[in-house]
Amino acid sequence: MKALSVNHIDKHFHEPVDFHVLKDISFDIDRGEFVSIIGKSGSGKSTLLYLLSTLDTDYEGSIQIAGEDVTKMSQNQLARFRNEHIGFVFQFHFLIPDLSVLDNITLPAQKLGKKPKEEIVHEAMELIKLLDIEGQESKKASRISGGQQQRVAIARALINAPSIIMGDEPTGNLDTRNTQIVFDTFRQIAAERGQTIIAVTHDEEFANNCDRIIELSDGYLV
Amino acid sequence: MNTNQKIGTTFLTSRMRQFSVAVLSVTFGISMYICMNSFMSGVNNEQTKMAFTAMPHINIYNELKTAPNYASDNPATNSTIRMVSNERSINYTEGIRNVDGLREGLENISQISSIAAQLNQNVFLRNGVSKESASLSGIEPIMEDQMFNTSQYLIEGKLEDLNQRSNAIILGTGLAQKIGAGTGDNITVSTSDGVDKSFKIVGLIETGAAGADRSRAIVSIQTARQLFSKNRSYATDLMINIDDFDEAVEVAEQISQLTTYKVEPWQEGNGQLDSANLLRNIIAISVSLAIIIVAGFGIYNIMNMTVNEKMKEIAILKAIGFNGNDVIEIFLIQSVIIGFLGGITGLVLGHIMISIIDQIPFQIGPMESLPVSISPYDYILAFLFGIIITFLAGFLPARSASKVDPVAILRG
Repeated sequence: MKALSVNHIDKHFHEPVDFHVLKDISFDIDRGEFVSIIGKSGSGKSTLLYLLSTLDTDYEGSIQIAGEDVTKMSQNQLARFRNEHIGFVFQFHFLIPDLSVLDNITLPAQKLGKKPKEEIVHEAMELIKLLDIEGQESKKASRISGGQQQRVAIARALINAPSIIMGDEPTGNLDTRNTQIVFDTFRQIAAERGQTIIAVTHDEEFANNCDRIIELSDGYLV
Repeated sequence: MNTNQKIGTTFLTSRMRQFSVAVLSVTFGISMYICMNSFMSGVNNEQTKMAFTAMPHINIYNELKTAPNYASDNPATNSTIRMVSNERSINYTEGIRNVDGLREGLENISQISSIAAQLNQNVFLRNGVSKESASLSGIEPIMEDQMFNTSQYLIEGKLEDLNQRSNAIILGTGLAQKIGAGTGDNITVSTSDGVDKSFKIVGLIETGAAGADRSRAIVSIQTARQLFSKNRSYATDLMINIDDFDEAVEVAEQISQLTTYKVEPWQEGNGQLDSANLLRNIIAISVSLAIIIVAGFGIYNIMNMTVNEKMKEIAILKAIGFNGNDVIEIFLIQSVIIGFLGGITGLVLGHIMISIIDQIPFQIGPMESLPVSISPYDYILAFLFGIIITFLAGFLPARSASKVDPVAILRG
């Protein structure tokens, strides 16, 4: 079963001058695959990820995620879709600093509103255990270390059990030890839960350990 | 509390200083609104009350009608010859002949609180060689006192003395001074019909209005009827007070159905009083609204800063599935909280301030402290304006927050 399929995508930047970033890109990703997107700076790999994430809707071509065509959805439908089907991990953790760790993790689930509060908290506690950040859950997100923050961000990405987890340089800002933890977690998730993982990365070691590498060069798929 | 509201309040409370400044600006605006309006309506009430010390809410009298224009009437036939000689208005009847009958009719109107009849006529007063014109009022002492509280202006004697003896008269202080008489002296009153009668001064009155004090003479209405040879039920003016003087026009309309005499509500003869009240209200409302609007700009500014500071958070919220309306709610809830808290504290502060103003001594005329009129209506309006302005001031930044493009921020 396809987790994601991309058909003939073209993307232009209009400012400051027209620039053709992505040129006729098509590929499929299966469910449970751990894929990394690599390429030099300016090759369009981040741009591609933001298209896949549905945050950027200014493109030609079509994208299907989990069997649904996201190209035609309205902004509000997309927000709802992201909430349910896509989890994000960014290079800089981007937590809400004034909320507690637990609140940060449960935020997408509270937004989705499909489960009662106790169940959400219970699931969050399991993720906290899985990611080895126990004992931090009631602290403010701004009061824990960078490696821990990134793991909180991963827990937040996982809370709604999305079909796809996207990472923009998820380990780009971490030391070797934390990189290893993040990588192992991703591996485990892909294997055990059947969740698809797509990560943009510069880290060759990280990429080499993935199931598949998608390489971009000057806007073309290599 | 839902998720959006929780995020909103977290954003708000993480910046206590800006939060309290915003709340304080609303507090100040609303308390000023309450102060201005309560003070102004206090002044208005005081003014109107002062005017009503000598003026009834509704006056019924015999009006000199303008002459009908006979010349323009269509002649019955072409051969009719029209002769108009010396056209003029003539008052065939004087005063109100049957006050008692009219009174009975008025008993059915529930808004009426008091009725008093007066017989007013110009006379000459003589005391030896000094002679002075005066306006003589024949009054019903008890009713008159009920309506105008006349007895509080008497500096000598009692109003009831007028009923005790048929030749009792009370003079304005200025008038008594002009003819050189005081309490206990005898004076002569001459009417325009040439009737002379001797009166004994039983009291002096001083209202503070110098013009009236220099010309006013008061006797009982029976004495006046006798003096002018009128019937037992005659009066020139029938004065009516009602419960709420703002309803005078409506009640006057009702009364005019019962009688052919002129029924005049106070507004008709006192446009200056009415317009001064209205102008003061306009000033009060525009100044206090301006203050609230300035507070609104303050909130707009603060909320804009908050939105700019929280750009990253907005982007991340959008990425994890919050839509534009959620973002609007997150920021709008903040200004609603500011408006609500500022509103409540503004009401309390306004109430305290106005209570203090009420105590400030101001001993001019009949006043003892600054006049203040507290009405729940002002408080409700102040609160509503505060909420509406903060809502608007919060909505614009919230809307711009909802339009943030997450990609631009997350990519850095």
